[in-house]
Amino acid sequence: MGSDIEALGFDVRLYVFNEAAATGHVPQPLQIARALRRSEAEVRAALQILAEGKTLIMAPNGGDIWAASPFCAVPSGFRVHAAGKRYWGTCAWDAMGIAAALGSDAQITAPCGDCGSGMTLEVRQGRLERSEGIIHFAVPAHHWWDNIGFT
Amino acid sequence: MLLFRDEAHVDRWCGVREMTRGALLTPEQAWQLAQGWYKEKLKPEWRRPTVEEAEALLASIGLTGAFWNLRA
Repeated sequence: MGSDIEALGFDVRLYVFNEAAATGHVPQPLQIARALRRSEAEVRAALQILAEGKTLIMAPNGGDIWAASPFCAVPSGFRVHAAGKRYWGTCAWDAMGIAAALGSDAQITAPCGDCGSGMTLEVRQGRLERSEGIIHFAVPAHHWWDNIGFT
Repeated sequence: MLLFRDEAHVDRWCGVREMTRGALLTPEQAWQLAQGWYKEKLKPEWRRPTVEEAEALLASIGLTGAFWNLRA
């Protein structure tokens, strides 16, 4: 059973990330189960293993995916437009990570964390061609996973 | 990791939360970090970087010192 779930984890990972990249939407357990023709319980078990390995992040107090990093499952202020689709990142790093993962030109818009004014960054042909502002890491690296939502 | 208009906005944000400033990256540094961390994420053969690999990535873009220590 354990090794079967671990093997399923590979398929779940590929499906989740490819679906997020292709559509801009991170699939949730029921959709994943239907796509892979597995039970929802099996998929949730596989997701738990992936979360323990920090491949993705589950929502607090629930069984849904919060982020298949760099793709955020819920709307955020970090918006990415790429390849004719809209994505959300969980933070500035992940918003840029979407452009990196897709290998695509991208326009990223995000609010200033303090005043909320909008800023734009653009990736063209693998280069950051336009940028504004600075990125602040509030949490030291070895504490990132103490509270990944805040990080 | 939030984006701020400038350092004064970072300090105001930290002050409201009674936090000391963390670390600042230029957008170019953040882009290099994003590429190093995520460019392989969609590939079947992807695996999470080891601590050594992550340290090498951070160091390659000038992110060294206690704040970026992954082993503490």
